[in-house]
Amino acid sequence: MEEKNTMNPGVKSCTCGALVAPFVVGLIGALIVGWWLFPPLLYSKKLQPVRFSHVVHVEDGGMACSDCHFNREDGSFSGIPNTGKCAECHAEPMGEDPEELRFVEEYVATGKQVEWVRYQVQPDNVFFSHAAHSVEACGSCHPEFEENPRELCNKCHPDVGGSDSAPAAQVNRITGYTSMTMKMWQCERCHANENHFELTEEDEAKHIKPVTRANNGCQVCHK
Amino acid sequence: MGIDRRSFISFLAGGAVGTLVTPIPWKLTDDISIWTQNWSWIPKNPEGASEYVPTVSKLCPSGCPVRVRTVGGKPVGVRGNAEHPYSRGGVTPLAAAEAELLYSPARVRRPLRRTPDQAYVAISWDEALAILEEKLGAIKGYRGKLAMVSGDPDGTINEVFSAFLAKAGSADFYLMPGEAQVAAKAWNDVMGGQGAVGYDIGNSDMVLAVGADVLESWGQVVRNRKAFADKRPHGEKPKAKYVYAGPVQNNTAAGADAWVPINPGTEAAFLLGLTYQVLKEGFRVDAAPDFDEFKTFVMSNFAPQNVQRVTGVAATTLVAVAKDLLRASAPLIVTGSEFGQGGGGAAMVAGLALNLMLGGLNRKGGLQALPDMPQVVSGAKDAKGLRSADLVAYLADVDKGRTPLPEAMLFYEANAAYGLPEASKAAATLAKVPFKASFSVFFDETAAMSDLVLPVPLGMERWDDICTPYGSGEVNYQLARQVIEPVFEAVNAGDVFLALAAKLGMSLGYSSFRQVLEAKASAIGADLDALQEGKPFTAPAKVTQYALRMNPGVLAKAIKDADKGGDIALAPVFYLRTGTGSTAVPPFNLKTIRDTELLGKESFVQLNAATAGKLGLREGDRVSLSNEAGTCAARVHINEGVMTDAVAALLGFGHTAFDAYSQGKGDNVAKVMKTRFEPGTGIPVWAGAKVKIAKI
Repeated sequence: MEEKNTMNPGVKSCTCGALVAPFVVGLIGALIVGWWLFPPLLYSKKLQPVRFSHVVHVEDGGMACSDCHFNREDGSFSGIPNTGKCAECHAEPMGEDPEELRFVEEYVATGKQVEWVRYQVQPDNVFFSHAAHSVEACGSCHPEFEENPRELCNKCHPDVGGSDSAPAAQVNRITGYTSMTMKMWQCERCHANENHFELTEEDEAKHIKPVTRANNGCQVCHK
Repeated sequence: MGIDRRSFISFLAGGAVGTLVTPIPWKLTDDISIWTQNWSWIPKNPEGASEYVPTVSKLCPSGCPVRVRTVGGKPVGVRGNAEHPYSRGGVTPLAAAEAELLYSPARVRRPLRRTPDQAYVAISWDEALAILEEKLGAIKGYRGKLAMVSGDPDGTINEVFSAFLAKAGSADFYLMPGEAQVAAKAWNDVMGGQGAVGYDIGNSDMVLAVGADVLESWGQVVRNRKAFADKRPHGEKPKAKYVYAGPVQNNTAAGADAWVPINPGTEAAFLLGLTYQVLKEGFRVDAAPDFDEFKTFVMSNFAPQNVQRVTGVAATTLVAVAKDLLRASAPLIVTGSEFGQGGGGAAMVAGLALNLMLGGLNRKGGLQALPDMPQVVSGAKDAKGLRSADLVAYLADVDKGRTPLPEAMLFYEANAAYGLPEASKAAATLAKVPFKASFSVFFDETAAMSDLVLPVPLGMERWDDICTPYGSGEVNYQLARQVIEPVFEAVNAGDVFLALAAKLGMSLGYSSFRQVLEAKASAIGADLDALQEGKPFTAPAKVTQYALRMNPGVLAKAIKDADKGGDIALAPVFYLRTGTGSTAVPPFNLKTIRDTELLGKESFVQLNAATAGKLGLREGDRVSLSNEAGTCAARVHINEGVMTDAVAALLGFGHTAFDAYSQGKGDNVAKVMKTRFEPGTGIPVWAGAKVKIAKI
């Protein structure tokens, strides 16, 4: 129903109620698109070229994380093992899993490297040293990391150590980086935190002082 | 309720406000900013473990020992080898550039055959070998029909090549010109010396470098630099004095205690002027029966005033340098050309004679007579024969019709069409040869005029060796290790020639070049495992001399050698950082080239203000350097580090082949290196060539 403008007959007056409804519809629609529809559209799912089970290797095979993921003598990180490393055990198929058979035939026998999808790859303008963030380095003050190294790894990495199959990587269609790639603010949770990392009650009980050794200078990461 | 304009705008406004509190604008903005940095040419860090493989650079003419850093087996950089006694961590700028050159756009990627319309088409190695077999088979056994040029100055691979040629009936195997040939002609031919010339710089307490740029490009340059540093520890009294004599204040002159500027081409007169002073003190060479004749010749012609008039060196300076030599316990005179080639025989003889007079022969810190290594390929030219074969003289004879034009010429890492003196003329002579095949890492000027271009592996892609490089003070042998499989379809030329020899029915006794290297190591008594670990083999052996000649008659003729083709003496300068004729300018080293050396597409020549003033030239003027050999264009840079009436010109520019980093950049100074044959010695000389400089 329209209200009459008594001062200026012929000019329709504003009906706020009638305008609020479409505004709210637009608002809700945008929120739905932005929060629910947009993210899956932005990322594509990429599966690993070879199915890999951490459970089989760690729990059944009795391997330690550091058998494959270790710091080399020069401080560089081994990251994902190459085919040669896998071939130390899988020169011949060890079980009856057809996926293992395919891996041996397609990669081990030919020496071809597996194009593993990496969940977290920093651009080349970011220098990151695993040696500076290693169990040995962090464990010198935080013994809990020495007891459970996965806890330290999981500060940055997803906990895939107990997975039976590697999760699909969500690859950003625009940037090419995955959704798990760390942004600078995530690095700064420690590097820009004077407490170095949030002190726990246990730390405080041990009178650990909130002193950081994490330098936040630009050149530390951007060489 | 219908949708009118107002409600639609309201809907859009709601959508816009809602969008602002979703990730859409912010995430997209962030992602787009990241996307803009995703350029295909940004290098990616290779994955894998770092390793350091000790080897020796075959790319650098100094044979620099290095460690190649590999990541996941891929070479990513070249560093010095701190554990190697010759380099102790030092590395030359050319050796340092090798890892990057693996992927150079100038590399020959597969065998190429030139078609009648001058285009190059890719062929297989089998096809390439079939063409070689056909061409070489047809001229096999006919003397003078086949010639070959090798750009490797000191590898055993030259034995394979020269034996191949010998079995094919040809004696025309040549090395690209270098200092070793001039030294050999002076020492072996003129003076009757035995063995090869060596210099023990590390143990000398007074090094006089005449022309030889010992701290920049001459000999085992990193070893020389370490010797220099050892004797001159920072903050302590120097234990050795270094004096440099030459027309340009190069890096050796800059590092030395004294730079003695001398007119280009007058090195012999300068050295005989010093000899005059030494003779006055009663020094002599008893092993030389013609010593008294020599003494009379020097004492009657090389008084300081005479020398000053010719060389431009003040008499007092000459006397002071002579006193330094006499005061030293282990003086050493190193004679050479500023740019490592084309030096005169007279200067070399005078330098060697002065060393002999100062008692330097086979003495610690003196001149060394080094035995040649045993040969392992039957029928190969011996080391002395290799050194005495003269490519420049051969091509001059071919050009003048004194020697028949070969029907086929083979080139191994030898960019003769660019690097020989009188480059344009040399290229024209080579162009007349009906069939040419170039075994080359890069598509250089010689490859560009060849009928067949065959890719050979870069130094770190092959097994190779270095046998006592020129300048070394003792017999030594080093193995170059293969660090990576060839990136392209390159095959070691040693293997190609062994296979070709077998196809032509003239077996060289080996089925692979690796076997040749193993035989070499065995023949000299070296431990192959140690060699593979990057350790050099050395031997203390020296050659005793019995009958030396000072040959004053030859010197008297040779000293008169002087080019009269212009008013200004050309003083070429050679830096390893701008590469060799076979490598061109490595992209890795572009940052080291100054704006006063190359600006855009124009290279510079350097004159001092007095010379420039005389010619009416100013900084930045465009000039042409010309003589009978050719013309070279450049711009002028005023530099007081150049002798008056001399023009310094940097080698390494003016390529017409290779890649965008070298092609069309500056001009090739070799075009105006006019060659003359030194009277008496007959050695072709192009140091001290004269040019006319005109403003353009």
